[in-house]
Amino acid sequence: MLSDLLFRLRALFRRKTVEAELDEELRSHFENQVEKFVASGLPRAEAVRRTRLEFGGYEQLKEECRDARGVNFIETLLRDVRLGFRAMKRSPGLTLVAVLSLALGIGANTAIFSLLDALLFTSLPVEEPSKLVLFGAGRWAGSQDTLPDRSWELFSYPFYREISKQNAVYAGVTAVHSIEFSTHGGVDGGSAELLKADLVSGTFFSVLGVKPVLGRVLDEADDQTPGAGPVAVASYSWWKRRFLNNPSVLGKTFRFESTVYTIVGVAPPGFFGTNVGQEPDVWIPLSMEKEISPGWNGLNEKFFQSLYIIARLKPGVTVEQASADTNFLFKQILRSEYVSPQPTPKELAAIQHAQIDLTSAARGLSNLRIQYSLSLEILMGVSGLVLLIACANIANLLLARGTARSREFAVRAALGASRLRLSAQLATESLLFALLGTGLGVVMAWRAGDFLLGMPAGGGHSPLSATPDLRVLAFSLLLTILTALLFGMAPAIRSAQFQLTSSLKDGRGTVRAQAKSPLARALLVLQIALSLVLLASAGLFLRTLLNFAHVDTGFEKQNVLVFQLDEYAAGYQPDARLENLLNQIEERVGAVPGVRAASFSLFTFNQGEWSNDVTLEGISRNSENSEEVLMNRVGAGYFAALGLPVLSGRTFTPRDNERGPMVAVIDETMARRFFPGESPIGRHFGFGDDPAHSGDYEIIGVVKNAKYESLRERPHPAAYFPHSQHVTYLPNLAVKFSGDAAQITQQARLAIEEVTRDVPIGEVSTLAVEVDSSVSKYRLVAQLSLFFGLLAVFLVSIGIYGLFSYTVARRTNEIGIRMALGAKPSEIMGMVLSEGVLLTLLGLLIGLSVSLGLTRLLSSFLFDVGPNDPLTFALATIFLILVSLMACYIPARRATRVDPMVALRYE
Amino acid sequence: MAQKRIELPQGTLDLLILRTLALEPQHGWAISERIQQISSDVLLIQQGSLYPALHRLERRGWIKAKWGTSENNRRAKYYELTKTGRKQLELEQDSWKKLAAAVAQILETA
Repeated sequence: MLSDLLFRLRALFRRKTVEAELDEELRSHFENQVEKFVASGLPRAEAVRRTRLEFGGYEQLKEECRDARGVNFIETLLRDVRLGFRAMKRSPGLTLVAVLSLALGIGANTAIFSLLDALLFTSLPVEEPSKLVLFGAGRWAGSQDTLPDRSWELFSYPFYREISKQNAVYAGVTAVHSIEFSTHGGVDGGSAELLKADLVSGTFFSVLGVKPVLGRVLDEADDQTPGAGPVAVASYSWWKRRFLNNPSVLGKTFRFESTVYTIVGVAPPGFFGTNVGQEPDVWIPLSMEKEISPGWNGLNEKFFQSLYIIARLKPGVTVEQASADTNFLFKQILRSEYVSPQPTPKELAAIQHAQIDLTSAARGLSNLRIQYSLSLEILMGVSGLVLLIACANIANLLLARGTARSREFAVRAALGASRLRLSAQLATESLLFALLGTGLGVVMAWRAGDFLLGMPAGGGHSPLSATPDLRVLAFSLLLTILTALLFGMAPAIRSAQFQLTSSLKDGRGTVRAQAKSPLARALLVLQIALSLVLLASAGLFLRTLLNFAHVDTGFEKQNVLVFQLDEYAAGYQPDARLENLLNQIEERVGAVPGVRAASFSLFTFNQGEWSNDVTLEGISRNSENSEEVLMNRVGAGYFAALGLPVLSGRTFTPRDNERGPMVAVIDETMARRFFPGESPIGRHFGFGDDPAHSGDYEIIGVVKNAKYESLRERPHPAAYFPHSQHVTYLPNLAVKFSGDAAQITQQARLAIEEVTRDVPIGEVSTLAVEVDSSVSKYRLVAQLSLFFGLLAVFLVSIGIYGLFSYTVARRTNEIGIRMALGAKPSEIMGMVLSEGVLLTLLGLLIGLSVSLGLTRLLSSFLFDVGPNDPLTFALATIFLILVSLMACYIPARRATRVDPMVALRYE
Repeated sequence: MAQKRIELPQGTLDLLILRTLALEPQHGWAISERIQQISSDVLLIQQGSLYPALHRLERRGWIKAKWGTSENNRRAKYYELTKTGRKQLELEQDSWKKLAAAVAQILETA
């Protein structure tokens, strides 16, 4: 083996010596033979002639010896690579288009795949992730205080305790709060900085099998009694960022809200918890829930359901067994603890529908995954199609060049090159294109990855890494080989078919049938069909985006600033002092010149929702009025700040305080659906389904509908309550202004600081930006697919132009004869154009039938436009026809300028 | 002369070369001459197959080459059998004899 290798290496690196030796050896044989003939009496000249005859092809013999020595493979590869580069240099235009289109195709595929990979395929960096199951699908986050009438997603702390105690199928169970808390806190008594915390059960680290790199992890003792575990485990990246990996971090303290926590350990690098796309700075035991979020006393409250439950299967237990055991226990617990001894019909229905679907937690939970996997899949499909078009294009270019080189190949074949050898050279050239494209593409993917990552993170920092890792690189390599195979196939098939003699005669006679190349035409039709699919879907996404821009949000999104304030971090309690603070800030900011109205609110657009069902006083429940109502808690100036017109009644005034009757303003949808045909003003309603509370709130006004969470949502019943009647922390301050936004922002800040210097002011944005970013994924998909669509059309037009220029060049002779026989230029033009139109129409027909089926898959990503929208399809079709006509026109015009005399002499 | 000669069956050339070299190291031309002589001109080795075969055997490590001077005072590349080459020769000789005997038996009895 080794000697074989040395032998080959010597042959490779000492090529000159080896070649000289081979030459000398053969020459000496030759001379010996000649002398033998001379000795037998032949004249020298005759002896040389006979010997030469016997010898046959001298070069061929040498080539066979080289083959026998086994050096040829590497050597010919190197030579083919050199030849390939030389061929590329000869046609730089073709090379540029081919490599660039491949690079774009492969780059886009790699970038999108790396995101898909991070989001969909990567397992959590924990012990045996495949053994982890999640209760539910992780679709919901927040808290729920009723029995959900569907399969469950969120659970209470008591339920978590019960299930971990009673089950027989899990090696361990842990709970994670569904909300990542972030607030301002100070380290070691320092100034406030933004901290993100995950609340987890004491079993969290042991169930996941995650060991600390420093100190200890949380254990059950930290999670025994409420408020008794003021300790935290720091994430590795926070430790690195904030403490520069200093081991003295152990024992350091930080204030989070109003409690001081001690850092007891550091998690290993790469561990970000269970939620892909989130990266908490610290993990805090669930026993501290009340301290983290006041009023949230979930530890004893079975109707405070806000936890995800993750469990590790015992060895040998299947998911089915675990599911059966869990659901059995679940119903038992529900019946004994969640409903009254005489359950109401509603409770019975809820129990009957209640169910826990176990899903795999191997890849962790991810909001991003649920939110973005469809857009990524769409983009993956789109970029895949572009790559396919690029491949078809390169195949056609290589095919055309291959035909132009058919004489070169025929000459080489005549000189003794085998077909295998010629095919190998073509394959090397294809691979060279593909490798160049991939190299460039991966570099692009690196850049594009950052750009694409802006999508999930909404522009900010994202813990997702889109840096191509090994798996991604393997993916691109696979793509490369696949693409090289795809576009190298056509020229290879062609080269295997060529006829030696006719190729040698080529260009010296009349038109050959091969000039009509059905393969090249089929590839062109395919390209046209695919680009129609791309254009049509890009058109649909574009229309979706336009439709979003025209949605009536209800509120006026222009000239409204939204300030994020964190009153709790400043140590305020939900009492009169806080209410006083809110009123003062509203008043001071409202008095800033240029500010028309300022008001706090619990939510502004696209921040989440608070919903509840209500009972109307004097009206029994029916299907219309049992729908959940979206709620918000706002200041008196809210409707003015958002430009929500009052349709009837009045809005809140300072007199609507704790001493007055409890009041509410509702929207027109609630008015129409809950009080059909009558005025809701003066009517009463209450939360929940208990008639005893139905008189709690008096309706004093009706305002216009406004979008609450997304532009897609249908008109929804909504109710607003004044914060003056129920004091709570309100994180949003909406400010309606006229004039310069930057100046107003500055002055409003000053006004807030005049009231308090303790309350941290977070992000400041405008409602217009919030509305915009709520459709960012649609915008990204629309922009990228439009870009890819246009790229596809560009590639197709190059393809059409190339094919027809080539055809016209090949048919110069025929065209000359036609013109000599009296054909008019317009007829020649028609002849070329009609063929182009025919191919285009064929491609469009195939493209239409394919995309009419495919776009149906996009339905859930479209808004106010059907997946088979005739206008979009018509425009895409017309656009492609125009482009292909233009691409044909230039070669067609060239055909009409053929001079019959020149053409007839043309070889 | 030509009509007397027959084509070598596939794979036998290697055996003949190894057998020829078992006596003494030889250069390419001498090998073909020797085979032709011993076979009484029945077997003619073409250069086109001799040299690729020599290079193949060399790569396999059954023969090795060194440069020497031939009878007529020319530099020539001499091939000689290696240890593994000798083993290989015995193996191939055995199997050839078995094959020949079997073929002969079939030809005579069938």
